[in-house]
Amino acid sequence: MAPSGPSRKAADDGALVQAFFEKRESLLLFLASRTRCMATAEDLIQDLYLKLAAMDAGTDVRAPSALLYRMAANLMIDHVRSTQRSSRRAGQWRMETRALLSGEDIVDEPAADEVVVAKERVRQLAEAVAALPPQMGRAFRLHKLEGMSQAETAQAMGVSVKMIEQHIQAAIRNLSQRLRT
Amino acid sequence: MADAAAWLARLQRADVSERDGLEFEAWLAAAPAHKTAYRRTLAMWHEFESCTDEVLTELTTQARHETLRRTPTRRGWMVGAGGAALAAALAVAVVPGLVTEPAAQTFATGKGERRKITLADGSMIDLNAETSLSVRLTRSAREVTLADGQAIFDVTHDPARPFTVAAAGRIVRVVGTRFDVRSRQGELAVTVAGGKVRVAPATSTAPGRAFLLTPGQRLEVDRAGVEQLKAVDPEETLGWRIGRLVYRGEPLANVVADLNRQFEHQIEISDPELGKMPITGVIVVDDQAAVMARLTLMLPIRSVPSQRGLLLLRK
Repeated sequence: MAPSGPSRKAADDGALVQAFFEKRESLLLFLASRTRCMATAEDLIQDLYLKLAAMDAGTDVRAPSALLYRMAANLMIDHVRSTQRSSRRAGQWRMETRALLSGEDIVDEPAADEVVVAKERVRQLAEAVAALPPQMGRAFRLHKLEGMSQAETAQAMGVSVKMIEQHIQAAIRNLSQRLRT
Repeated sequence: MADAAAWLARLQRADVSERDGLEFEAWLAAAPAHKTAYRRTLAMWHEFESCTDEVLTELTTQARHETLRRTPTRRGWMVGAGGAALAAALAVAVVPGLVTEPAAQTFATGKGERRKITLADGSMIDLNAETSLSVRLTRSAREVTLADGQAIFDVTHDPARPFTVAAAGRIVRVVGTRFDVRSRQGELAVTVAGGKVRVAPATSTAPGRAFLLTPGQRLEVDRAGVEQLKAVDPEETLGWRIGRLVYRGEPLANVVADLNRQFEHQIEISDPELGKMPITGVIVVDDQAAVMARLTLMLPIRSVPSQRGLLLLRK
């Protein structure tokens, strides 16, 4: 659903806002590649909308698409920077994650048992990772699970960043197939 | 030809740019199936994101089972640490070890002493007063034995080398996180500030069950082996690192025991009933006289000089 601007009529909207509404879903899917869930991506796209709605309506935007994706990419990089390093390991984030996990599986269970309930799925995920070819599995583990950037993963494994991206790509393909429900 | 997996991987680049975005949009628009495939792949990606620590723990556990199956006679690594009450912190090798096995290093603090050590892997350990622990780093493991005392662990991520702390018959296992382990007189408390920590009996035949602790949880195991899981503010438990002891309904006797690890003049409690009085509050550990003055203002107690140091009495 499109966020509604403060009493703004479609006819008054600049090219940028119009382009935003046309591309909203693509932008959302773009942002979601780096968020932990779709809800966070929705938050980011809301931020994006607020940013561009605040821009001068008379701004001459020759390439609205390029500007939208530039703004989205910057938001994404800022988001990764602010969450990945600090709160990835911090309490709050984990607690939210747990609530998310348990919400799907159980209600009103003591905290200590939540893990046990979700465990079967965790085991499936871990087994799928363990079944990856060694280098691919290591790249996935460091990058996705340990939260290292592609560059850090490349350094840790002594291979090029390009190679890491290829490993990750292959791992995603492999895991999607194995975990398809 | 690019597919959903290729796009998702490409968008993970640190320098992802508008060009990536524009080309991604063009790919999405090229066929309806692209969007469906991408959304499905994204769901898998997000699922991993929602339980990275659990999956890591599971992977570590699976790997350990593999190792144990392969080498059932693997030598136990728990080594006794040296004297507990050394006057100053020191590092000495207590186990010469085999040629291929690195020796364990022992670190100990004396009364009133706190010490921060940094291990070769970058992990940091804060030792509270009167604490003794030994550390052994190998290529496949990082093993700490907490003989007695309390320590906060800031563990660097290294999935190839799980970090374990053996204390009071339990094994605390992590991948990378921050937590506090307190092992005094056979009682164990593990408090987690970040990441996930697994606490399990040291051997498969030992009594007790395994717990996976998350931030804000504390597992307490008393001398009888009775386990209790509590919700706590981890920063309170970890407060001793900055000289703050935080208590919520802690018996006075335990508070006094903590203070006696910090100060030369030992405090005694005359009356066992007084020792049971619950204490709630923050004690800033600076100067003993100041601490005692604040305590006697805060609580219905007074202190008088005694042979050993101070004697606490009811007002």
